[in-house]
Amino acid sequence: MSALPKRILKETERLMADSPPGISAAPKDDNLRHFDVTVAGPESSPYEGGVFKLELFLPEEYPMNPPKVRFLTKIYHPNIDKLGRICLDILKDKWSPALQIRTVLLSIQALLGAPNPDDPLANDVAQNWKENQSAAIAQAREWTRQYAQ
Amino acid sequence: MADSIASPPPPPTKRSSPDLFFPVSDSEEEDDIVATSSALAGPSSSAVKTEVGSQQLDSNGNHRASSASTSQMRVNASRQQDTTSFFSSQNSDDVIPLDSNPAQSSARSAGAAGPSSATLAPRKRGSKSSQSPPASIPASFETGYLGEFVCEGWSLSKGKGYCSPGSKVIFERPRAKNVVTLEDDAKVLARAKEKAGPARLVNGKVVGARAKPIGGKQVTLGSMMGKKTPAPARKPAGKPVVDSIIRFRNDRGFAHEDIVGRLSVQEAGFLTHLLDTDIIALGGSVIDCPQSLSTGSTILLNVKVFLTRTAFEKVEKDGRKEEGTFWQEQKETIEEEAMRKRKDALGALFSRIGVKPLRSNALLLAQKKNGAAEINDNSLKHFSDDARPTSKTGVKRSPSPSKGSTSSTDKGKGKASTANSDDEDDEDSGDEAEKLDDEQMNEIDTIYRKAQQGDKRLEETDPPESFLYTLRPYQKQALTWMTAREKGDESVREQSLHPLWEEYAFKKEHVEGQPIEIEDDDDFVDPSRKFYWNPYSGELSLTFPTSNTRAKGGILADAMGMGKTCMMASLLHTNQEADMPSSPDPDATTGDEEPASKRPKFKQVTLSNQWRAIPTIAKPVNVPRATLVVCPVSLAAQWHEELGKMSEKGTITSFMWYGNDRTDIERLLAQEGKKKVDVIITSYGTLASEYQKWRKIKDKPSYEGGNLYDHDFLRIVLDEAHNIKNRTALVSKACYELKGQRRWALTGTPIVNRLDDLYSLLHFLRLEPWGHYSFFRSFVTIPFLNQDPKALNVVQYILESCLLRREKTMRDKDGRLIVDLPPKTVDVQVLDFSRPERQIYKHLEDRAKRRFIQLDAEGRAMSNYTSILAMLMKLRQCVDHPLLVLGKATEDDEAVEKLLDPDTGDERTSLKEMIAMYADGVAEEEDENEAVDPEFAAKVLKELGEQETTPICDLCTNEMFDEVLLPCYHRSCQDCIVEWIGTCEDQNKPANCPSCGKGPIRLSDLRSIQRRRKRVNPITGAYVDDDGKPSSQGDAGVTLGKVDLVQSTKLRALVRKLEAMRQEDPEVKALVFSQFTSFLADLIETTLTKEGVRWLRFDGSMSQAQRAATIEEFGKKTKEPLILLISLKAGGVGLNLTMANHVFMMDTWWNEAIEQQAIDRVHRLGQNKPVFVTRYIIKGTVEKRIMKIQRSKTALVNASLAGGASKDKAASLADIKKIFGLDEDDSEDEVY
Repeated sequence: MSALPKRILKETERLMADSPPGISAAPKDDNLRHFDVTVAGPESSPYEGGVFKLELFLPEEYPMNPPKVRFLTKIYHPNIDKLGRICLDILKDKWSPALQIRTVLLSIQALLGAPNPDDPLANDVAQNWKENQSAAIAQAREWTRQYAQ
Repeated sequence: MADSIASPPPPPTKRSSPDLFFPVSDSEEEDDIVATSSALAGPSSSAVKTEVGSQQLDSNGNHRASSASTSQMRVNASRQQDTTSFFSSQNSDDVIPLDSNPAQSSARSAGAAGPSSATLAPRKRGSKSSQSPPASIPASFETGYLGEFVCEGWSLSKGKGYCSPGSKVIFERPRAKNVVTLEDDAKVLARAKEKAGPARLVNGKVVGARAKPIGGKQVTLGSMMGKKTPAPARKPAGKPVVDSIIRFRNDRGFAHEDIVGRLSVQEAGFLTHLLDTDIIALGGSVIDCPQSLSTGSTILLNVKVFLTRTAFEKVEKDGRKEEGTFWQEQKETIEEEAMRKRKDALGALFSRIGVKPLRSNALLLAQKKNGAAEINDNSLKHFSDDARPTSKTGVKRSPSPSKGSTSSTDKGKGKASTANSDDEDDEDSGDEAEKLDDEQMNEIDTIYRKAQQGDKRLEETDPPESFLYTLRPYQKQALTWMTAREKGDESVREQSLHPLWEEYAFKKEHVEGQPIEIEDDDDFVDPSRKFYWNPYSGELSLTFPTSNTRAKGGILADAMGMGKTCMMASLLHTNQEADMPSSPDPDATTGDEEPASKRPKFKQVTLSNQWRAIPTIAKPVNVPRATLVVCPVSLAAQWHEELGKMSEKGTITSFMWYGNDRTDIERLLAQEGKKKVDVIITSYGTLASEYQKWRKIKDKPSYEGGNLYDHDFLRIVLDEAHNIKNRTALVSKACYELKGQRRWALTGTPIVNRLDDLYSLLHFLRLEPWGHYSFFRSFVTIPFLNQDPKALNVVQYILESCLLRREKTMRDKDGRLIVDLPPKTVDVQVLDFSRPERQIYKHLEDRAKRRFIQLDAEGRAMSNYTSILAMLMKLRQCVDHPLLVLGKATEDDEAVEKLLDPDTGDERTSLKEMIAMYADGVAEEEDENEAVDPEFAAKVLKELGEQETTPICDLCTNEMFDEVLLPCYHRSCQDCIVEWIGTCEDQNKPANCPSCGKGPIRLSDLRSIQRRRKRVNPITGAYVDDDGKPSSQGDAGVTLGKVDLVQSTKLRALVRKLEAMRQEDPEVKALVFSQFTSFLADLIETTLTKEGVRWLRFDGSMSQAQRAATIEEFGKKTKEPLILLISLKAGGVGLNLTMANHVFMMDTWWNEAIEQQAIDRVHRLGQNKPVFVTRYIIKGTVEKRIMKIQRSKTALVNASLAGGASKDKAASLADIKKIFGLDEDDSEDEVY
């Protein structure tokens, strides 16, 4: 593992000192590119009241390549699959090196508040969401209570 | 026969002995005991005396009377103060120096002397030179008793009565021809025997006492001991070599002149040379023998050995022809061969007798600690390449006869010395010693350590007032030392025994009638008993050989940056004072004579010059007073300048003497008054050409003198003296030939990479004897090649006497650092290539690697060594800047071409294309975009101008470096955005602006932004605006330009760092080192100019005047940053650039020491700011591995330094493999 780029250090520092509301991220002791993340479910969303654990990994090419992020906590969301993988454009082709960990996490938080069943990752969830939104939302709430509290 | 021996002689002996030694007649029994217990000395002493006596007897021709006469003699002796007592009185022992006491000698001459002189006289006759006593030998000295040993012999006679235990024997060499001497010896011995016979009878035990107590009673009784059967069996006469036979016979004169037997060649063969050359005399007696002899029966003998006067004569002088053959590989002359044999034989003798040095110098002790053998055995092994000759051929005799014996002895040396010596252990340990180590070169520092011991305690001397600088304490110590060296005052440092000599003492020979003294080696030994032996050369001496020589001067080898120049200047001043008032310094005159007379080579020169010098010059200057300073051309001006600064006006004037219009040196130095010149400064190059000139003309009759070489200098100083490390180089010879009384070599690296480097310095210093190549070679070079640690020890001892070395990390006696330099911080910046750079590099490296593997596989790597090195150079250049690869400035164009187009032509094209694209691509695009839309520009600039601080780059979150403007007005570091674009290309996606997503962006869309510093940092108004003209939009303080993607990673890093430094210290001065002038000149310069940074350049292409001007310019106060670009080779050495405190090493050189030297231009005395060193290394390139190799200091270093001329190519190839990563488990950061 080569030395940690200055940028990562800076980001980490700032995340620890001044984390965005509802979000926390801290690098693991054994690997400073590997973060433990928690995201609080946004208000007035089915995930409100839940605290979701995620892991975030900064690849060697970061920031030229995006970080890798996934949910560890089970979540009922059309853009998040059973394995916790997230479908989010900025984590894929819309990545820009001007983005940061902080912005990525904020985006994920926002994704919780605004599920996008038209670009699904978990197809069954997305379908449910489209066909019976209230049931889906209830389901999401239920899961939140069950897994994220 | 047996009868006669046994009965008649014995009684008289008995009688006489008691008379003499045991006045109260003791019982035989008691005698036995006494003798036995008492020392060896007993018998030996009697032997000596007996010899004496016997000789006289001989002369009388009355052998029958022998016993009687013997006793008479003794009586006489005792009356007159018995020889014995004479000895004893003299030395307080009854030791050998028979005549040491003049008073005694008179006595001797009167009576007892008769015998003794008689004894010696014949020998002297034999030896050519003996009668004239060499100066170093006290007139009274005749012989010294060395000791005795037990030796085996074989009977050559049959029957009884030839000898019996205790009877004296006389040794002789069989060949009459050889043997005037021997004959004499024989006689002497014969007489001795005669006497001994009696003596023995009386005290039978006395005879055998020392070695074999057994003898005692039975001997007396006349019965023989049980035959020593083992003995004969043990030493079968392997190859009896005629020439090395030593016979012995009994002492009973004519009637029984029969040869009794001869000594075992193997046991005593080594004595023959010594006997023939009259270095030793032998006495002896029978310890044991069969009652009735038959041919070949074993006779056990006690052999006493005396060193004769001859031994201490200076044989060496004849042998010193070496000097003449100095430059050639020496062939062994006859004299040398004789010396060698002598040395070998003495060594064997010493070990055989078991003589132990009272004192050998610490050098030898150190060896012993290492488990090395006694010097006697060990040294022989190392220093005699040929066999040790057993035979005694005279000094001048043909060596041929010795051949046969040689081989046998030789083996004897290795193996047989075991047999020879009583302490056999020595041998083995010696072998172990040879195995010691490879680590020497890595631990050169330890070599110096010895020389540094005690230097802390040197006194401090204050320089005279005319010297304006203040010296630091350690510099004052140096002044003390140097002054002492010049005056020949050795007391400053303790004087030690010459490293090659050992101190011994003659044994006390037991004298009957005297109380028996137990020898105690540890006790104080009367100096008159001491003698010295040089186990290397075979020389013996009675006077104390010191390690110091009369060479005036030495090596000042303080580490770099400690002010060697300054110290030397203070010495100039100090001596100036000493010299001026009283005209001829007594030292000076004598000092002048010595070297000349010592060395024929120089003498001749001197003579011829004086011959002509007289008419030419009025000789106003009888006393040499000028100092000649020889230094690298780059330092000449610095010397001149610094001398000027350090000296009060009018005290010391220096003159730079070089170039084409060199003034007549004599006239120059003859100037008086204001124009007086005290110091001449010249360069090695000038000296060499002057030397050549002089050599051509000096012997022509028309030659008028006036040459530099005709002048006697008071002092010659070689600065950076490692310039003459190659003894065969012209410049080295030029330095050797200079005439001067005091000689100094200044260098931080007296040993660069071979011990031989040192030799040249020693030769220049005329330090005896090390300044002789053959000497140095046999004591240092050859042992070193044999991995004999002794070599290093010898070097240490040489250095102890003539070298002063302190290092910056040393502490004074109070524990403070002697040099208190500001801290030095080394920052190794490991950078990563930009994408195009890495592509090019990787391409190049792959190709080089492939080619190397191919060559290696075909076994042609050796023959293509140069081209491989050239390939490596290309790689190293590429690391600096890809454009360098194409540079015309590279030396080995051909080799490089090969690299660039190995076998596959297309690749070459592609590589060249790649580089071309790298270089040109941007330029083309620039052309396209030459016209910048003014509106666009104005808008941007306005925006930009409003910002006061350096913006942060979104990508790296640092302050922007090489700020570029994207079409969308977003900005970024050039590196960041270029990398982003590259990444996107790799992923086949459009490279949009990271900040706003607009795009795609092409490299050609980027515009660089250059801010006028003044505007950007209004607070720090100190910044001076560059003279670069502002653009039309200049009001904003910002210009837009093309993006110069051609800048290499290192270059940009440098620029960035310079910028940062400028912020901190607007007047910062920095050095930038690179080994590639083209990098400095073409690329860095251009870039700095573009950046508006002032720079100066210093490289090998500049004339001396230009260099001086550059340095001067660099030293001026400025209000802006000033960068000095220095080529590592031209400016790495000697320069004093303490005005700067930042150093940049742009690339990695093979040898870390060179880089260290470069850094020390700044980190040295006079520097009062913290020093920052920045080295740039590119990840995953040859550089990393070069640094590794640097650390392991392997052979390639030398090879590369030597321009590929290394002999050790094989080792280098291994290194090259490492460099290509073929031989090594690459560490993680060496991934391509």
